[in-house]
Amino acid sequence: MNTPANPSKPASPPDEIGFEPVAVVAGVVFPGAGHAARGEVKRGVAAAAGVLGLFVGGMLVGGIDVVDSKEDKFWFIGQALVGPIAFGVDYYHQNHLKVVDTKAGRQVRRTAYPTEGRDAATGKPVPGGNPPNTKSVSKINELGMLSCCLAGMLNLIVVIDAGWPTRRKTGGA
Amino acid sequence: MADAAEDGWRVMTMLAYRPFLDPLALDAYWYLLLIPIAIGISLGYKAVRVRDMKDYPRQVLVLSIQIVVSMVALGVGAYLVVQHVLPVITPR
Repeated sequence: MNTPANPSKPASPPDEIGFEPVAVVAGVVFPGAGHAARGEVKRGVAAAAGVLGLFVGGMLVGGIDVVDSKEDKFWFIGQALVGPIAFGVDYYHQNHLKVVDTKAGRQVRRTAYPTEGRDAATGKPVPGGNPPNTKSVSKINELGMLSCCLAGMLNLIVVIDAGWPTRRKTGGA
Repeated sequence: MADAAEDGWRVMTMLAYRPFLDPLALDAYWYLLLIPIAIGISLGYKAVRVRDMKDYPRQVLVLSIQIVVSMVALGVGAYLVVQHVLPVITPR
């Protein structure tokens, strides 16, 4: 039980502190769901808007190529913090958009060249078709990856705040 | 002539654009992407930071402006150091 150190001082209502495992699990599954599970739906929606806005915005700018666990492994470590959505996007990118090529006797997955299509059944490149997606390069690629990575790091803060609710300061950044 | 060809290429790229599959042809305006990124960061961060959600929109706006102004100031600072300070202090 919390007792004020000085009983003569007016006691402010105690803030909720502690650990909420359900909120952590919900927050990991979907951005902002941790706050919603704790009853702070408005805060959860706002957090989800920030995290998903950055993640979807990054993919809109740089294309799905910015989420790639094989070719951009270190960026994906940050992006993975968005949760199952990031893993789902990466799975779709690796298995439904990349072509399966044979290099030095072993199979490698790569983005189709601009002059290639993709055989839906085998995943092998088809000369002369339309590529399923386009590889982004230069600053647009970097900004897309950065945006998605920032979304992941921001979601980590959101999950921690949902799981370990603590005193919020008034005003200031 | 080269500008017309580049503009034509940009128009064709935009017409063939498939959202989420192709990158946007914004290479010439990449620096403007600082604004949506700053807004996204502010939306998420202030969601867990503000005590009363009534203050949320104003706080998001303030933090977004702070980020954009700070990044522009850092850019100007880096430009001044590289273009004007370093040539003076580097031994010839």
